[in-house]
Amino acid sequence: MSGGAIATDQRAASRRRRILVDSAWAYAFLVPAFLLLFVFKILPAIYALYISLYRCAVFCPFTPQDFRGLTNYTDILFGARAEAFWRSLSTTFTYAAITIPFEIAFALVIAYVLFQKIHARSAYRTIYYLPYVTSTVAAATVFNWVFHPNYGPVNAALERVGIGALTWFDEPNGVFAMIADRFGATLPDWAGGPSLALASVAIFSIWHFLGFQIVIFLAGLGNIPAEYYEAARLDGASQRQLFTRITLPLLSPQIFFVFTIASIGVLRAFNEIFVLTNGGPLDTTRTVSMLVFRTFFQQGQIGLGSAMGVLLTVIILIFTLVQFRVLERRVHYG
Amino acid sequence: MRKLSILAVIALLIAACGGSTPAASQAPAATTEADLDITGPVTITLWHALTSDPQKGALEAAVKKFNETNGKGITVEAVVQGNYTQLYQKTLGAIQAGALPDLVHAYESQVADYTRAEVVIDLDPYLASKKNGLDKASQDDIYKGYYDTNRFPQYGNKLLSWPFTKSLAVMYVNEDMLKAAGKTIPKTWAEFEEAVAATTKKGADGKATQWGFAFNSDASYFNAQVFARGGNLMAADNKTVAWNGKEGLAVLQMYDKFNKEGTGYSPKGFDFQDFFAQGKLAFFFSSTSSMPFVKAAADKSGAKWSVANLPQADAAKAKTVQFGANVAVLKTTPQKQLASWLFIKWFSESAQTADWATKSFYMPVRKSASDSAVVKEYWSKVPQGKQGFDLIGVSAPEPNVRGQQDIRDVVSNMITEVLTGKAAPDAAIKTGGDKANQILKDAQ
Amino acid sequence: MTTLRSGLSKHLFLIVVGVLVTYPFYYMLTTSLKTFGEATAIPPTIFPLEPTLENYPEAWSKAPWLRYFANTVFIAVASTLGELVTSVLAAYAFARMRFKGKYVLFAVLLATYMMPAEATLIPNFVMMSKPPANGNAFFPILRLGLYDSYAAQILPFVASAFSIFLLRQQFLSVPQELQDAARIDGAGHIRFLWSIVLPISVPALVTVAIISFYGSWNSFQWPLIVTSNPDIRPIQVGLNAFRGEAGSQYHLLMAAASFVVAPVVLLYLVGQRYLVQGIARTGIRG
Repeated sequence: MSGGAIATDQRAASRRRRILVDSAWAYAFLVPAFLLLFVFKILPAIYALYISLYRCAVFCPFTPQDFRGLTNYTDILFGARAEAFWRSLSTTFTYAAITIPFEIAFALVIAYVLFQKIHARSAYRTIYYLPYVTSTVAAATVFNWVFHPNYGPVNAALERVGIGALTWFDEPNGVFAMIADRFGATLPDWAGGPSLALASVAIFSIWHFLGFQIVIFLAGLGNIPAEYYEAARLDGASQRQLFTRITLPLLSPQIFFVFTIASIGVLRAFNEIFVLTNGGPLDTTRTVSMLVFRTFFQQGQIGLGSAMGVLLTVIILIFTLVQFRVLERRVHYG
Repeated sequence: MRKLSILAVIALLIAACGGSTPAASQAPAATTEADLDITGPVTITLWHALTSDPQKGALEAAVKKFNETNGKGITVEAVVQGNYTQLYQKTLGAIQAGALPDLVHAYESQVADYTRAEVVIDLDPYLASKKNGLDKASQDDIYKGYYDTNRFPQYGNKLLSWPFTKSLAVMYVNEDMLKAAGKTIPKTWAEFEEAVAATTKKGADGKATQWGFAFNSDASYFNAQVFARGGNLMAADNKTVAWNGKEGLAVLQMYDKFNKEGTGYSPKGFDFQDFFAQGKLAFFFSSTSSMPFVKAAADKSGAKWSVANLPQADAAKAKTVQFGANVAVLKTTPQKQLASWLFIKWFSESAQTADWATKSFYMPVRKSASDSAVVKEYWSKVPQGKQGFDLIGVSAPEPNVRGQQDIRDVVSNMITEVLTGKAAPDAAIKTGGDKANQILKDAQ
Repeated sequence: MTTLRSGLSKHLFLIVVGVLVTYPFYYMLTTSLKTFGEATAIPPTIFPLEPTLENYPEAWSKAPWLRYFANTVFIAVASTLGELVTSVLAAYAFARMRFKGKYVLFAVLLATYMMPAEATLIPNFVMMSKPPANGNAFFPILRLGLYDSYAAQILPFVASAFSIFLLRQQFLSVPQELQDAARIDGAGHIRFLWSIVLPISVPALVTVAIISFYGSWNSFQWPLIVTSNPDIRPIQVGLNAFRGEAGSQYHLLMAAASFVVAPVVLLYLVGQRYLVQGIARTGIRG
């Protein structure tokens, strides 16, 4: 053996030792975080599956006679609980559909205007951001008051312009049905649209999260090189063309990002609905999260509630993956 | 104090020896946990749903008085857990978490749910206990209906809760408006509909400026009307509902009619109480426990008002809903359970229940309360209190079966459907009845 | 000229949006200064005709707000500090150390990040329960017995996959030469982390701290279900309880909402640079 080989061996040994020492330190560093994540995230996720196999009313001791296999799932998907579940799922997606496009469109326009060289930009940004930092419970309490059917200023304004008072968060009738009703037409039930109560929750949600989206879009706009605009202007592009040909495509990563985050946020929405409508009127705002809460906390059905939670998780995961797949291809990463 | 503890030891010794001798085992009442003594300081927690004054304050004052005067070292801590629904949610959570309060304020059907989890104490031994129970005269002094509602057919007719914040469904009448319309308090449903139409006024634009009636989508008032129309809420075997018959339909039809005619008002929160006091609303159905709020508003506006039974189909069989919640003792330790019983027993004693009735506007649980000087004085100031009290005899409880909590939501949704035009009364009552029967089936 | 006009129209647009966005706050504050009679006047007054400050002491006296605030501050500070410690350590390990199973553990971390809270709500609640006394139960998984305690409100939020990602990203940007130089000087990982990595990562740490603090301050669903004792209630649950107690006394409710909102708004105005940077960089939406 040559000296060089011995030296290499020695070096390799000392490297191995260092890796070993490093590993020991690394594991020590990881223990606190992973222990907690294991106890409060990973273990409960497995436990959720376990609980969802049991059916007991009010109190669950998980005795063998409470074990029901997959009955909870079949009940939720096809059986006695199916109507409530599918309805809440459709409510959830309706809520997403009437919230997210508006959130994105408003935020995009405002961010675009704000991004132009404009005085007091940071003052505007500070103001727009206020709703987002306000707690949902407090903000929703205020909204209930602003939209109060008798004393609220919104209805006072509507009365003045001749539209008349609406019952907002108490109104189970569909928005389209109500509009048609104004013109003396009657729409079939399926065409009635989301209840005004759900639409009112959506208004709250758009207001509450506007600042968040604006900040993301401002960051994205800051990444678009100014030369692109200059070159396009030299070619005689109009303001509108600048926006549709340059800004929109180059902002697509942020739009995609906001879309994903907002979808997940809406699928999980609980606090604002709990305060604003508590799932009513006539269950028209009972999203899946609200249904899980009610099943678990008001009907004492922890197995059924857990099964619904598992299904919601699966839906959120599928939704996220599909979004990534579909949108990834269209998104222009600048 | 010392003498007392010696006595307690002797009592315990006798009790302990008693079991072993054949002679003693023939004694009529076996010694149970209900016959213990409080041996040291005990603190018990009462979860309740009285969120606002005067009721909240009245309860706190009563608890303070008990803590200062019970002489056994019992301390009661009263904790508000939100409204009845929130309290129910919290209690279900606490049952699951194994962290129960000692006493919980609850409606009968909620007690039925808690009993399902085997956490509710049977109060019969405590009531019957020679040492800690109530004597015959006192037992008879408490209205029979209050025992009936707290005995649960699904659970061997055991006494699982105790009357606490009792009230009745009644009709509030704005006398000024009635007089202006030249009507008297309606006794039948036909008279009622006439009076509602006569007290409604509409402006030039066709919108009502004052209403005859305010809707209430709470299930209890629907139930009260079913009673008043001669119907029943449950079938005799407690397995299906009975409110989905012609009486229930008549209620919904009347609501539908008032709604379409614009004579009925759909309240937003409790604004109808203000409208009532301002002379913009002639009738509404509510609990007698709304009295403090109505009185406060009416005192301000000077409106003349009274309380009467709902219109009846048959005056000879007049009936309304007896409701208001009860209190259940939960399974903790023998000492705490006994302390809890001693508190609720004290609370229902003549002096306390009379005092409670005058301060909280709830109904006293004892007949003898009507002889009490405090109550008489209160009635002289609030004649409506007496008007309510006189109806206790014709009040009957709502179902205390498991599933009733969900059924209440079904009833309430049914009314909302009719009022918002989403369903016709006959369709609404049919689907409502089917849903309720399904719930009952699931809860078996 | 055109630029001036378009500048004006832009400002006009932004001001209209600003008015719409801030109007609820304005209405909250003005209602809190009105008497009950004026608060329920139809139509509502735009500005309080007889402004009064009396609603504030009255609302304040109707619930143990000081206790709620103290609880919230305690819970928020404890979980934020805890989260900083666990995240710094784990992020450092992922960014600057070599060890076996790094990629597996990183994948696990990613998985926990994807796991929505709904999946773990009920099991976490069950885990917080006490073991039942009647003993007829079969429990394969541990019972912590922390229901209705501060710990139940703090511990689940002491570790966060998100913060670990964020800090890892920051720590990766520390030049390797610094680490090599430190090692030659004989400094171990702890000294390197403490005296070099952390000082240059202050902005990222502040971002993590602010986001964690906000999350804790505004958390509602979990404390709502896991507490029943008002003495350990955080502010949002307290405000929700007060909604029920105040009933239709909106002038009091708006006064309460105002003093609940005030501290976070002040904190935001002071620390908005970090918060906005944090959002822009990480995109957390709460």
